[in-house]
Amino acid sequence: MGEIWKVAISDSINKFLGKVITFLPNLLAMITILIIGFLIAWIVKKLIFRFLKAIQFDKVSERWGLVEVLSKGGLTYSPASLLSRFFYWIIVLITLIMGINALDVPATQNFIAQFFNYLPHLFAAILILIVGYLIAIFLGQAALIAAVNAQMESAKLLGRSIRWFILILSLTMALYHLGIAEKVIIAAFTIIFGGIVLALSIAFGWGGRKLAKDFLERLYKREGKENEGGDHISHI
Amino acid sequence: MEKLFESQWKEIKEADILIGIPSYNNARTIGHVVRAVMAGLAKYFPKAKAILVNSDGGSTDGTQEEVKKVGIEDFKMILTSHPVHPVHKIVTPYHGAPGKGSAFRTIFEAAHLLHAKACAVVDSDLRSITPEWMELLLRPIYEEGFDYVAPLYGRHKYDGTITNSIVYPITRALYGKRVRQPIGGDFGFSRKLATFYLTKDVWETDVARFGIDIWMTTLAIAEGYKVCQSYLGAKIHDAKDPEGDLGPMFTQVVSSVFSLMGNYQHLWKEVRESQPIPTFGFHFEVGLEPISVNVERMIRNFRLGVKDLMDIWRKVLLPEITLWLESVGRLSDESFSFPQDLWARIIYDFAAAYHKGSVHRKHLLKSMIPLYLGRVASFVIENQESTAGEVEAKIESLCRVFEEMKPYLIKRWE
Repeated sequence: MGEIWKVAISDSINKFLGKVITFLPNLLAMITILIIGFLIAWIVKKLIFRFLKAIQFDKVSERWGLVEVLSKGGLTYSPASLLSRFFYWIIVLITLIMGINALDVPATQNFIAQFFNYLPHLFAAILILIVGYLIAIFLGQAALIAAVNAQMESAKLLGRSIRWFILILSLTMALYHLGIAEKVIIAAFTIIFGGIVLALSIAFGWGGRKLAKDFLERLYKREGKENEGGDHISHI
Repeated sequence: MEKLFESQWKEIKEADILIGIPSYNNARTIGHVVRAVMAGLAKYFPKAKAILVNSDGGSTDGTQEEVKKVGIEDFKMILTSHPVHPVHKIVTPYHGAPGKGSAFRTIFEAAHLLHAKACAVVDSDLRSITPEWMELLLRPIYEEGFDYVAPLYGRHKYDGTITNSIVYPITRALYGKRVRQPIGGDFGFSRKLATFYLTKDVWETDVARFGIDIWMTTLAIAEGYKVCQSYLGAKIHDAKDPEGDLGPMFTQVVSSVFSLMGNYQHLWKEVRESQPIPTFGFHFEVGLEPISVNVERMIRNFRLGVKDLMDIWRKVLLPEITLWLESVGRLSDESFSFPQDLWARIIYDFAAAYHKGSVHRKHLLKSMIPLYLGRVASFVIENQESTAGEVEAKIESLCRVFEEMKPYLIKRWE
């Protein structure tokens, strides 16, 4: 009986030690991956920050209104610092996943595979949102200035409408890309877009009679400018 | 340069005088301009070998045919008995970005290739050009050793508002030379200067369009060329659509002024006061056609800007300036006034913002238009009863404000 116990205990210890010996290299690999990963993340962060400073990214962001949005959102980092930190954390995240993967624990394998499959979609969605935001700000401002110079009383409304339309469009595209309730998103966008068009039609016909009046008057006056007494000065 | 064009140059080899006429759909007026040019050359430079280059932007109304049609027989009456060198006429399309500047580039290339001693460019839509303009634009180059002749005109008191309210005051304050019509459109220049212009890589910028005039004038002054001006008399040109042209005209001219400020900041920061430049020609009063100005519409546009563009302006102007603008926006049409020092501060603030790039540059320039219209409206109201001399005194006073406020510009620039 004592012999059986001895064999059982020694078997368990041997198995445990075997597992520890098998696991130890994986653990060391994980630690190495983490150290190298964090180091790479830190170097990449510094390099990106210096590159963004060199191309005057902060100045460009200020011009595009990004700084204003960040400060409104309570973020005190400069856009260059924020973007370099973003890349730092992305590399840290990848490092952690690679580290966990190096442990070779079957339960985590499936999760990691799924994560890496999803990663490109996540990046694409973030990119769509950033580019969409910048385009929305730019075109909204361009439309506002053009409308003021065309003497449209509702210039601000036009500028805002264009900005929000592009923002909603880019958000829809980003969510679609992430695969979050694709059908619901498409349906919601169709409803919102259709609603906007319908609202505009009604507004233009009834609520926005003044806007319509302005617009038609401008068209009419452009044709018959002489009647209104236009300017005949030569600006140059 | 196009092959056919090049072979024409080779055939001509060289010329004493070169006259450039940029054009685009000016069939109505270009015949008169060519006749005046040819008569002027025959009358004042009968022994010089002259070339007339019509640099055309692809006219579809028969502009090029009009140029070819004009012959020496048309003006025998006014010629002297001197032997006359025949004037060669070359009609050529220009290449590059569509615009006045690209047309000028072709003219500079011709001047350089033909070793022309003196060159002049005149607008193709002029109705008031006379043969004397040739003498006044060319003689200072041909005989007096000047490199650049700017025009000086008798103009309606409300005409040339971009010149009077922005370009003349700021050019004078920056570079210290009182060139009264820096963007007049009709200039004389030496081959040396034309060759220098060709060394600059600006032909894809606004200089290739309406920015060419201020670019030529600024470079001539800043690079130390001998600059003078000639009094040409009245400037009357074919009616255009000022509203349709204002946007691109304004932004291209102002962006060229601001870009050049960046290039020559080392120079203008040292300039403390302005000096008159040599002036040729006999000054006389001219009769000018009346001009209609819709002041109410200009004020309306300004107020709309105050209402809707203030968020953009706040990125450019100091808080006290925006408050001042808001108070101007609240004035009634009758008491509307846009003070000179407010205007000078605004121009300097926008120049500094353009330099720093804190707002997208095209947006920045376009957002200035309501402010400009506000200032023009105020100028028209102020000068309703003024004579030409009184108006000139007001412009002189604005220039002094720009000069006095130059330290403000330097502070804002840095």
